[in-house]
Amino acid sequence: MIGAVGAKTIGGVNNIGRFARFVWQSMIASFRSCLSPCTYPLIWTQMHIIGVRSVPVVMITGAFVGMTLAVQAYDQLAGMGLEEHLGVLINISVVKELGPVLAAVMLAGRIGGALTAELGTMNVTEQIDAVRSMGTDPVRYLAAPRVLACLLLTPFLIIFADLMGIIGGYFVSVVVLGINSRAYWNFSASGVELWDVSIGVVKGFFFGVALAAISCYKGFTCKEGARGVGQACTEAFVASFISILALDFALAVIFKSIYNTFWPLKSLV
Amino acid sequence: MKQDSNQDRTQDGTNDGVIVLRDITKRFGGKVVLDNVSLGIEKGKTTVVIGPSGCGKTVLIKHLIVLLRPNLGQVYYRDQRIDNLSERKLNTIRTHYGFLFQGGALFDSLSVTENIIFPIRQHCEITDWAQVEDLVKAKLAMVGLDGFQNSFPANLSGGQRKRVALARAIALNPEVILYDEPTTGLDPIYSDVISELILKLQRELGVTSVVVTHDMTMAYKVADRIIMLHNGKIIADGDADHIHNHPHPIVQQFIKGQVGEDDLAVLRMSGTASQAQFLPRDFQ
Repeated sequence: MIGAVGAKTIGGVNNIGRFARFVWQSMIASFRSCLSPCTYPLIWTQMHIIGVRSVPVVMITGAFVGMTLAVQAYDQLAGMGLEEHLGVLINISVVKELGPVLAAVMLAGRIGGALTAELGTMNVTEQIDAVRSMGTDPVRYLAAPRVLACLLLTPFLIIFADLMGIIGGYFVSVVVLGINSRAYWNFSASGVELWDVSIGVVKGFFFGVALAAISCYKGFTCKEGARGVGQACTEAFVASFISILALDFALAVIFKSIYNTFWPLKSLV
Repeated sequence: MKQDSNQDRTQDGTNDGVIVLRDITKRFGGKVVLDNVSLGIEKGKTTVVIGPSGCGKTVLIKHLIVLLRPNLGQVYYRDQRIDNLSERKLNTIRTHYGFLFQGGALFDSLSVTENIIFPIRQHCEITDWAQVEDLVKAKLAMVGLDGFQNSFPANLSGGQRKRVALARAIALNPEVILYDEPTTGLDPIYSDVISELILKLQRELGVTSVVVTHDMTMAYKVADRIIMLHNGKIIADGDADHIHNHPHPIVQQFIKGQVGEDDLAVLRMSGTASQAQFLPRDFQ
């Protein structure tokens, strides 16, 4: 019993160590890739697969988030005669929290699973060993372009999600529920600051790196066989999802502290 | 010089070679896969490693290029110890090797041409693409597949994939070529084609070859030297005649393809065929 617990603990610590080392290697390799123009085609390819093809799904997610928020919040605010404040509630929720988090979760499902499955299959068919045997660093050739693509494009995808969330919220609030359009935008403009939009976008960098690093690591370390690849995909999604939520919490605390430090009076208002 | 047929060549692994394994032990979990193996690979010769499935042949060949690192022991390439080098330094050493993987390990998303120029693009600045196309054509012609430049691995047969993988392995004109089970999954004719290719590469390019196989027809055809692994140890080492007449019963059993008494005893004890033939309807 004690032995089993000890073995599991040591295994867990080893895994964390290996993952930390992989992330470090990926960061170094990504930095070197940025300085090496011959790797740019690999990065463009991944940007197309990861970024461009994810735009529709992320936009749909954003639109439904905005529309659902409008439907859910309208009754509460209307009961207090504050329905014109619906814009603030929707837009600040979308740009600060729900847009970034749900866009990142959608990406974890769409891209994370695909990255893990692709790299996992390459691993079990010895293609990663083949890359190494030809004197090429597989982290630099396979992981770095994917990490860079996720790092650079997740914030842009979050902007798309935010935009559609705002449009979706406006459509339901103004067109369907009949709130005055001018009041809707006036309250939104007074409540949503550039800071709120910025922190939502900045979160994208962290979410992008987290989901790419986890997915690539799971692919690189996937066990043999179809079951191994399937298990790696599931673990990659679960780990990415939890990491996104944990990072969201940590970043919310950090950004709040920064805001309170630089604008102490605003935070009181 | 013909060696004494009752005398194995390498007992201590101290003989000179382009690649030398010295006292290599490799464990996976608690299982010892290579147990204190010493071996020198001679320059310009073809060394064939034979042994039953799971005896550590692939693990051995991966140690020669340090795709796996030993738990104990050292690996030398041209008198330089390489098992303790960083991956970055190893990448330079590995350009002197070509590796033909068991399943070919071609990149599915790349065409035949892109697969072959992969190592060239990684290590050389390509300025003249026409020259590269000529090179790809020459490499493919060498393995008898000129004209397949624009095909994708998914559209090739098993034998063709192996030959494209071989063309990729020789793309950088390596000094050493490692073949991991090159004839597995191929019919006898394609197996013979691969054997002929190995001989052709050695004859025309003078490369050092290490072939891991359990195909004795191929082993006898291409080998200058045959090594037999069993339970992670080298139990026989010599030329084809030496192995053919080796007194060790496991060597004889393996080269003749005979089942051992131990395996027969397990089969006798593990139930009858009629017991294994019932179906759920028998219960109805």
